[in-house]
Amino acid sequence: MALIELRDVTKAYKRDAIDIPVLERVSISVPEGDFLGLMGPSGSGKSTLLNLLAGIDRPSRGAIRIGDTEISSLSERALAAWRSRHIGFIFQLYNLIPVLTAFENVELPLLLTNLSKKQRRDHVMTALGIVGLSDREKHYPRQLSGGQEQRVAIARAIVTDPTLLLADEPTGDLDAKSAGEVLTLLQRLNEEYKKTIVMVTHDPHAAERAKRVLHLEKGTLVEAQQPVG
Amino acid sequence: MKFLGLVLKSAKRSKRRTFLTVMSVAIAVFLFASLRAVLDGFNAGAEASSSTRIVTIRSTSLIFSMPTSHGEAIRVTPGVQDMTWANWFGGIYKDPNNFFANFAVEPESYLRMYPEIQLTPEERTAFIEDRTGCIVGDGLAKRFGFKVGDKITLQVGIPVYGTQDYDFTVRAIYRSGGAAVDNQSMMFHWKYVDERSLVKGQVGWYVIQVSHPDQAVQVAAAIDRKFANSPNETKTDTEKAFQSSFVSMFGNLNLLLGSIALAVVITTLFVAGNTMAMSVRERTTEIAVMRTLGFPSGMIFLLVAGEGLLMAVVGGVLGVAVARALINPNFLNAGGFIPAIGVNTGNMLVGLALSVIIGVLAGLIPATMASRLKIVDALRRVA
Repeated sequence: MALIELRDVTKAYKRDAIDIPVLERVSISVPEGDFLGLMGPSGSGKSTLLNLLAGIDRPSRGAIRIGDTEISSLSERALAAWRSRHIGFIFQLYNLIPVLTAFENVELPLLLTNLSKKQRRDHVMTALGIVGLSDREKHYPRQLSGGQEQRVAIARAIVTDPTLLLADEPTGDLDAKSAGEVLTLLQRLNEEYKKTIVMVTHDPHAAERAKRVLHLEKGTLVEAQQPVG
Repeated sequence: MKFLGLVLKSAKRSKRRTFLTVMSVAIAVFLFASLRAVLDGFNAGAEASSSTRIVTIRSTSLIFSMPTSHGEAIRVTPGVQDMTWANWFGGIYKDPNNFFANFAVEPESYLRMYPEIQLTPEERTAFIEDRTGCIVGDGLAKRFGFKVGDKITLQVGIPVYGTQDYDFTVRAIYRSGGAAVDNQSMMFHWKYVDERSLVKGQVGWYVIQVSHPDQAVQVAAAIDRKFANSPNETKTDTEKAFQSSFVSMFGNLNLLLGSIALAVVITTLFVAGNTMAMSVRERTTEIAVMRTLGFPSGMIFLLVAGEGLLMAVVGGVLGVAVARALINPNFLNAGGFIPAIGVNTGNMLVGLALSVIIGVLAGLIPATMASRLKIVDALRRVA
């Protein structure tokens, strides 16, 4: 059974009583352990698709199943609890909380669990170790480079050991070297830690790191490719 | 507890803004607690008044006097158990800024009718037997360093008492046994003052003892009837009303001070609420990120509301602490017009409760805004 199953998902936004379609009857199946790249021009609906998978937006029609859960039918409260257990989200602009240290940023999702302080510390240090920033636990985001900030954000995304990692243009704000490091890290998470990853990107070089790439255009899947590279 | 660190970190985000918000609440609570203390002080004298003492003054105003012949007529009024009288002397001790209440009283009956003036039998006798003797409250004695045996000279403050200074000898320092009598006053013999007055035989007010509180209204009416249509008509009322008449010389203090306190609190509420709303608007993305991580909207509400509450309570604690330290009997000397003013535990608790109310109300709208944030819209704003 596929980990992610989208069936005829349509999403439209209302602007001044007019429906603006963003996604049109999209169906995707993503097996566990996949590293899927989503490409497409601006406005093609790739970020919307990612938001739907993350459960932070709801489809206008269609169904989304992730694991055993039909997330399109969950209440807001249940959806929030589900996100905290199953989703790790990596943003283009890192979105770390500036007043929290790297350690505290990574610990943030664990505050929602029943883990003890010591257990939380162990989890955070493991996650920071995986992204290679154990020595930066006390640094604030402003004291880190862009690449380091994104690696802390990745640590935050993996600290709860989620079912699915979603990355929205994770290298969009980075220089080539840092972008390469972040992509290598994502690849490692996929290959070594068997994390299922869906990554939205504009960058063909980034897409090359994915096992599989799907193209979206004007809200519909126009092309499906087998693993690249 | 694990979320407290998050709230504290959030509050420290903009130190200047947090400091100003805390200070605005602190000032509001300080003013509120202080004004409450002042009002309590003004009301304490009236509240502690005896219900068996009634006071007769001129119907026109307290500042006009009555002849001593009124006293004889009052004494024989049915229901009158005892009687004494006093004059407001208004003497000046060295400098008008050294204001304190000083009265000319008929010593024997006055001490008999005011058991709140606590003296030993020896002190009482020493005062009664010395025509130029005086007694001073222990608060006043402390203020000016008066000791038994000291000479005190008062300049005349009201021309009717002549032009020559009055010399007194401190015969005792009394303690106040109730709020009806403050410890900031000076009392001396009425006869000594009357001898040198330009108009002899004048009394400022009579204090009458009735045997039972139920008789007060009836006796008061009987006294006033006796002097109806005379050149010196009287107005007799309970001691409580008499004490209140002193306070009412300042206007409707309850309304005035209450209005000021309310205006300050409401203004602070809006200031704090607006500041927090600004803070939430600035943190839109962060809140959206936290929601994405799985923080439920209810928890976001509590975190934002908790931050407001924390700032308000810190401000409240600061406000009541400063009020307690500053507003004490030494800070405001009303010269015996009103009992000593001080911020008490009750005022502090009311101040703290007020800071909690400010915190809760000011945080309500920003917390609701934060909890209802649409994640996708908030993230799109910065993308």
